[in-house]
Amino acid sequence: MRKRGEWVSAFVFLLPLLFTLAIAFFYAFVRTVYFSFTDYNLFRVSQFVGLKNYLALFRDSYFILGLVHSLVYAAIVTASQTFLALLLAVVVNQKIRGLTFFRAAYYVPSIASSVAITTIFIWLVNRRGTVNWLLGLVVQYWPLMITAFGIAALVQVLQVLWERRHGLPVKALDPVLLATSLLVGAVSTVILGRVGLIRSNPEVEVLIPWLTTRQTFLGIPLPLLSIMMLNIWTTTPTMMILFLAGLQDIPQELYEVADIDGATPWQKLRYVTVPALRPVMFLVITLGLIGTIQMFDQAAITAGIAPLESVITLAYYVFWAVFGTGTLPKVGMASAAALVLAMLTLIVVLLQRKVGFSERGWYS
Amino acid sequence: MRKFLVVFSLIAVAALGVAQETVTIRLAGYSGDTPLMQDVLSRFVNGVIPGVQVVWEPITEDYLAFVLRTLSAGTAPDIIYVDLYWAKTVVETGLIQPLDEFMAASPVISREDLIPVLADAFTFDGKLYAISKDFNSLVIFYNKDMFDAMGVPYPDAGDTWATFLDKIARVSNPPEWYGASINPDAARFLPFAFAAGMPFLKDDGTAPFDLPAAKIAADWYTSFNRAGIAATSADIGVGWPGAAFIAEKAAVCIEGGWLIPPIRNENPTLNFGATFLPTVWQGGPRGNYLFTVGYGMPVNPPSGRPDLVFKVIEVLTSPEVQEYILESGHAIPSRKALLDSPFFQQLDPFALATKTVFEATGLPGTVPFTFGDVGGGNYMGVVNEALTLIMQGEATVDEAMDEAATKLNEKLGL
Repeated sequence: MRKRGEWVSAFVFLLPLLFTLAIAFFYAFVRTVYFSFTDYNLFRVSQFVGLKNYLALFRDSYFILGLVHSLVYAAIVTASQTFLALLLAVVVNQKIRGLTFFRAAYYVPSIASSVAITTIFIWLVNRRGTVNWLLGLVVQYWPLMITAFGIAALVQVLQVLWERRHGLPVKALDPVLLATSLLVGAVSTVILGRVGLIRSNPEVEVLIPWLTTRQTFLGIPLPLLSIMMLNIWTTTPTMMILFLAGLQDIPQELYEVADIDGATPWQKLRYVTVPALRPVMFLVITLGLIGTIQMFDQAAITAGIAPLESVITLAYYVFWAVFGTGTLPKVGMASAAALVLAMLTLIVVLLQRKVGFSERGWYS
Repeated sequence: MRKFLVVFSLIAVAALGVAQETVTIRLAGYSGDTPLMQDVLSRFVNGVIPGVQVVWEPITEDYLAFVLRTLSAGTAPDIIYVDLYWAKTVVETGLIQPLDEFMAASPVISREDLIPVLADAFTFDGKLYAISKDFNSLVIFYNKDMFDAMGVPYPDAGDTWATFLDKIARVSNPPEWYGASINPDAARFLPFAFAAGMPFLKDDGTAPFDLPAAKIAADWYTSFNRAGIAATSADIGVGWPGAAFIAEKAAVCIEGGWLIPPIRNENPTLNFGATFLPTVWQGGPRGNYLFTVGYGMPVNPPSGRPDLVFKVIEVLTSPEVQEYILESGHAIPSRKALLDSPFFQQLDPFALATKTVFEATGLPGTVPFTFGDVGGGNYMGVVNEALTLIMQGEATVDEAMDEAATKLNEKLGL
């Protein structure tokens, strides 16, 4: 039985949070629910319209597009960033030279402002931007690159076979042999180029319109795909930090036991690291899903350049219905869309918890 | 001592009284206007109008969103900018007040002092809701050095769509410079479409983009970029076509008087001229947009002193202030009397360009930049998308314009 004083002090400490929750969440939520059943436009006295807004939403092609985009975006970005973050965390958890530098360098995209990053990203993916310039180089020099890597691979295979035949247990990617192979590949490519046996393609200007297009790749609009790449790059490091914290908690003995059993690095990752990281995994995936389903800022910034139907997401649809059309705000429609978004987020997170990773640890 | 205390108290009370009489009036405008407005307020308003202190609030967010948000929350400032582009939407809220009564009582300004088209633009149901502070229209800016270098005659008022296209093709000299910087921008394209005969909406209220006139205009407008003689500002690596012109990466751009201050600040020795938009055919129709922003007042201004708020608007639109703004090259005044200003007689390129912009506004075919109940976001959004697709070769003119029509009809619920 706790003393009354304890309850009181607990409540006092909770009060600021409860107060902000009540105002910023509960009150706003109730009003949104109310507005979603009215034709409110910020100015007119609102009339009750029943389910009209919800029915209109599902007849609005932009809403349907936003819904599909949000789901696809959430699935791809969350999966990619979780996987990459785990890999990065495992890598920077090693005792390697310059570790602090790598940890910091990987983390920089996460702390930079999303708006600034997106603006820089827009420059990079301009039709005459850096990304297209690099692609142009690849198109121009791919015969040389293929030759160099092909020769290097061949030399590596020969070297490894040679060493193993002589009883030396070298790995397939032994660093010393690899360096030699790459050197041989590069030098022979230069020689072949000089004698004219292979030559680079004529200079080409790659002008892929990454943002200002309606082209799709595997059914996903190119601009949305660009935003996906951007978001994966900026959020992976935050997730990496979470995984890193989780990794530090895994008892070293487990890895020692695995080593004694002769486990490969992959098996250690699969059967020790990942199960031990379940609670962190749940956190990372849940945060990822919530963040991605509700993605707004990058869609809003790129919507200035990209066709609306290529980047619209549910969260951006909500904003667009209020301020984007140049007419009086459709607050009723926007509220209905916002509630659909909230429900969708909840369902996806619960579903993930049920069939994917839950917060229960491996030991339970 | 007692005498001193009495005198001191009296002075204090008097000072307090004076302090209480000072009314603070909030004026919110585009953040880009900050240097000019702060200059104007300190010269002509603060310390000049007794008992009034005007505070400038620069707005960086989308201005319409700011106005709708603050009007509905009851926190709007005393004076707001009203852009003709969305004026109707804001007037429909019923929360900004007509200025006719104030104007009737004013010795300084009357409706007759304003250029008629500007007064009409802000008149809804017979009431004037904003006093135009300045106006603008589109002209062709051209770089004389580039035309000279390529031996091409300057664009001029006699140009047709065909001769203009020809001149741009001949002056284009990539990668040094492009003939023009043209964006897939409805606010530039639509005047040409209107000149070609496209109505704002068809008689039955549906979208007009699938009409032959719209398609002919779209074909012509996008032909520059498709032929490689013009580039978008993004392709040139700058934020807007005007910046490409200032950076001397494009020989021509289609902009309004707002280009003049940045040229003066960033490339003051630029050898440039300005002329009217080309006509569809020799002696044929010519389109243009009239852009204007006015000062408006919410129904219950927070200062509680609508009379003083109007007094500030009066001063800001007075001949003295407008002359000052004109001479600083920032905008073209909305008062008729100033059209004879000696400034327009000067021969430097900045004054000449300003004069051209002013004269372009008065030409037949110039229509107000406004979208009524359709919503500028809706109307221009579908056009921008169509122009982008055509410029990039992702859709033909027919496909893109038909689709734009379908989409606008969908948004209009037709």
